[in-house]
Amino acid sequence: MSKEIGINQLKRRDFLQAGLVFGAGAAGLAAGYAAVPDAFARAVYAAKQNGVANDNVLVMIQLAGGNDGLRTLVPLTDPTLHDLRPKLAGPMVSQALPLTTDFGLNHNLGGIKSLWDKGKVAIVQGVGYPNPTFSHFESIRIWETGDPTRRQVDGWLGRTLAKAYDSNGHPLTGCACGATDVPGALRDLQATMTVIQNQKTFGFSGGSEVEAAVGALYKGTPGIYGALFDTAIATANDTIATLRTSSASYQPMADYSDKVQLVYSSKNQLAAALQLAAELIVTGTGVKLLHVTLGGFDTHYTELNRHDDLMGYLDSAVSAFYQDLAAHGKADKVLIATWSEFGRRPKENASGGTDHGAAAPLLLIGDPVKSGLYGAEPSLTSLDATGNLKFAVDFRSVYQEILGSHLGADANEILGASFDRIPFLNAPVAVA
Amino acid sequence: MALRVPEPATETAPPVRKGFTRRQALAAAVATGVGVGAVRLLGGTIQNITRSGSASGTDWVSPLSRESARVAQLLRRTTFGYTQAQLDSALSDGFSKTVDRLLETKPQEPPVLAAAGTPGGRFSPQQLQQWWVDHILTTSTPFAERMTLFWHGHFTSDYRKTGDNTFMYWQNLTWRRMALTNLGPMLLQVTTDPAMLRYLDLATSTGQSPNENYSRELMELFTMGAGNYTEDDVRQSAKALAGWQQPPPDSIATVTVDKAKMVTQKLPVYSTQKPGVFNPKRAYKGTVTFLGKSGSLDTQGVIDRILAQPATAPFIASKVVEHFVTTRPVKSYITRLGDAFRQSKYDVKTLMRAVLTSPEFTADGSYRALLKSPTEFMVNGARALGATNLGKLIVAAGSGMGQSLFDPPDVGGWPNNAAWISSNTVVERVNFVTVALAQSKASLPSSRDAAQQHLDGVLSPQTAKLLTQAPDERSRWFVTLASPEFQLK
Repeated sequence: MSKEIGINQLKRRDFLQAGLVFGAGAAGLAAGYAAVPDAFARAVYAAKQNGVANDNVLVMIQLAGGNDGLRTLVPLTDPTLHDLRPKLAGPMVSQALPLTTDFGLNHNLGGIKSLWDKGKVAIVQGVGYPNPTFSHFESIRIWETGDPTRRQVDGWLGRTLAKAYDSNGHPLTGCACGATDVPGALRDLQATMTVIQNQKTFGFSGGSEVEAAVGALYKGTPGIYGALFDTAIATANDTIATLRTSSASYQPMADYSDKVQLVYSSKNQLAAALQLAAELIVTGTGVKLLHVTLGGFDTHYTELNRHDDLMGYLDSAVSAFYQDLAAHGKADKVLIATWSEFGRRPKENASGGTDHGAAAPLLLIGDPVKSGLYGAEPSLTSLDATGNLKFAVDFRSVYQEILGSHLGADANEILGASFDRIPFLNAPVAVA
Repeated sequence: MALRVPEPATETAPPVRKGFTRRQALAAAVATGVGVGAVRLLGGTIQNITRSGSASGTDWVSPLSRESARVAQLLRRTTFGYTQAQLDSALSDGFSKTVDRLLETKPQEPPVLAAAGTPGGRFSPQQLQQWWVDHILTTSTPFAERMTLFWHGHFTSDYRKTGDNTFMYWQNLTWRRMALTNLGPMLLQVTTDPAMLRYLDLATSTGQSPNENYSRELMELFTMGAGNYTEDDVRQSAKALAGWQQPPPDSIATVTVDKAKMVTQKLPVYSTQKPGVFNPKRAYKGTVTFLGKSGSLDTQGVIDRILAQPATAPFIASKVVEHFVTTRPVKSYITRLGDAFRQSKYDVKTLMRAVLTSPEFTADGSYRALLKSPTEFMVNGARALGATNLGKLIVAAGSGMGQSLFDPPDVGGWPNNAAWISSNTVVERVNFVTVALAQSKASLPSSRDAAQQHLDGVLSPQTAKLLTQAPDERSRWFVTLASPEFQLK
């Protein structure tokens, strides 16, 4: 990074200079407007919910770009793999960390392997949906909305928030950490989402007077963006107030530093995002649904090093996150789940990479899971017409289990249908 | 991330859903034109113009019946804002002449970036960003920069995967030079562009074992949109497109990359911009069936077939409209623009003229229908303040608002409009204003006419109130630039 000065580095100094902006007049500007509400109390309220009695939390980790399932959960004994991937198969099989006779984790998933050994990892194999699209954007939308027919516009977690938790729009019930925009899975017109890119720098330069003035400025804003603006500002103000309280009482009890240098520097600081997620969880803000993203999985080219690095990056961040939650006594409440728009083509291409694929495994991590392999092993010899793995488990089966058995929400209402059960949880909660 | 180019809206209003929240009621009321009642600030006095209407939502009262408001909106949408002098000049030219000037003035070339000669293009991305932002801030032809930004988000590449900032620099020069030319040559150019060859892996694709990445995005994101081709078309065109490689360097430099360990690396050096080169040995030898026709096909053949598809012109037109006119175009508008584009043999200037002179561009319903991207917002702010020293701040502040130049979130480019709004981005937008004002040591321009010049005098009750309460010049500029009105265009 250069030495150029960013907004956030300027913050403290500019508090003084920004005083010029609001100096004597600040009180006048903000006069007549209520102080920022007690966001902390409001968020805690949000956790006590219509029909949802438990205080479980969900953390979804998006592996954006299409994660190679065959390099995540590696088939160890299938000779076809070597025919399909003459360059990629050898090292990935020989170095894999065996879970069973036939399957092993990518060698860089050592932390997740040790969680597996402690009975805290479930893997659902062959997850996908009928008639897969190979477009990133279409498939992401399908996973985000939970609707392969593409009629639904709201995200599945956004609908969950609006229907099960919080029809009144309390901030910090659903939060995207490490992002600047609302991920599609969390989007819903009737729900309020919080987005925090970097917790250390989240806040108004100029402090509470700017906060109050901006809160006054963004009220009853006309036009098609008016309500979006007003909600975003109100959410920001509430979130800033909450973080002020939570940051003071939170001490990370794990090492979140990046232990892997990615081939291409990452846009998403996964470990930092998960650390913020941990802070929101352990300080009792009432957060229920969290979303973080790690990009770079579109490995059409030189997949060997790039994918291994991504696995290592994911592994160290998730391991630290779990350790932190456990040290704070919250691990029993939190389910971590990965998702990706598709897996990759079993046959490698000339660039030492793989093109867009279909079915892939999904990782579920945490104390709530019942360890083991679920779903069905995808066949490498009976591929579909596009040369891709056939799915065995509809991704909505996984959503259904998360919604109904972990969060205690009405999965049928949120997903609009019911699906085969995949019992990957220890103690499924009863749906109210 | 979501689909970047939505289906055009149908002519009828969307059905009203039950169980509205306040927020939905507002959105629906505005969308269907039911809600009314807003406030204008005219010449420093507040007039409350209330029309009858039972919905809770309100909309901006369009001032677009006035030529001056139409000109100001034109500048907000096609340039990066204006100083008072620039606005006055456009106002004296009038709308039509300003459109002509925008379209016919040759783009001012940016200064040469000396760092582009660095072996391997290994100079910092901030240097590249700074070079472009400084040019955007000072250029005499900002429309060329606006179009360059549009194409940068459309035919997009990022510096991370490209891994050679000289190639990224060249791509930027290319879109400026070609911004108002013709889609056919642009497609050939983007296919052979060295940054793109790396970004979407075409440089490593061979006829024997084709890489589908570029082939798919060429159709899905660059020309036709999903649903207008098959998976087999993706595979077939991947074969036909294989064979392109990066251009040979002018020389090779041996660079020490790790002094302690004495590690050196041989890196390419380029003295001039070059396109990719075609290597017939890596090409596909057989025939392909692509978009319904069979035969042997080269890259130009693939592009010609794509241009022959009826989906291509409306796809591009729809994207232009989303960036320059409205997020809710009716189908007939897109069809009309697409027809004009195709009949002109894909002349971009013809398309842009059709867009800027269309009644839809200045229709009351399009008033404040678009949101400024972070770069637009920041440069608009700097111009309004007459500040030329904010380049570094603009480069540093973009990422928190969701836009870091040369680093789009994914191959779909940047999202736009409503997707720019979140609790994170609004805070960063306000912070930019706070810091920009703190950094503007020099005397600020008078804020007396700012609400009129930059906000058309059409203010929400809150903005109007805070402006009248503001105790000094800086406070009035803060309210003006941090207001919701200033985020819109």
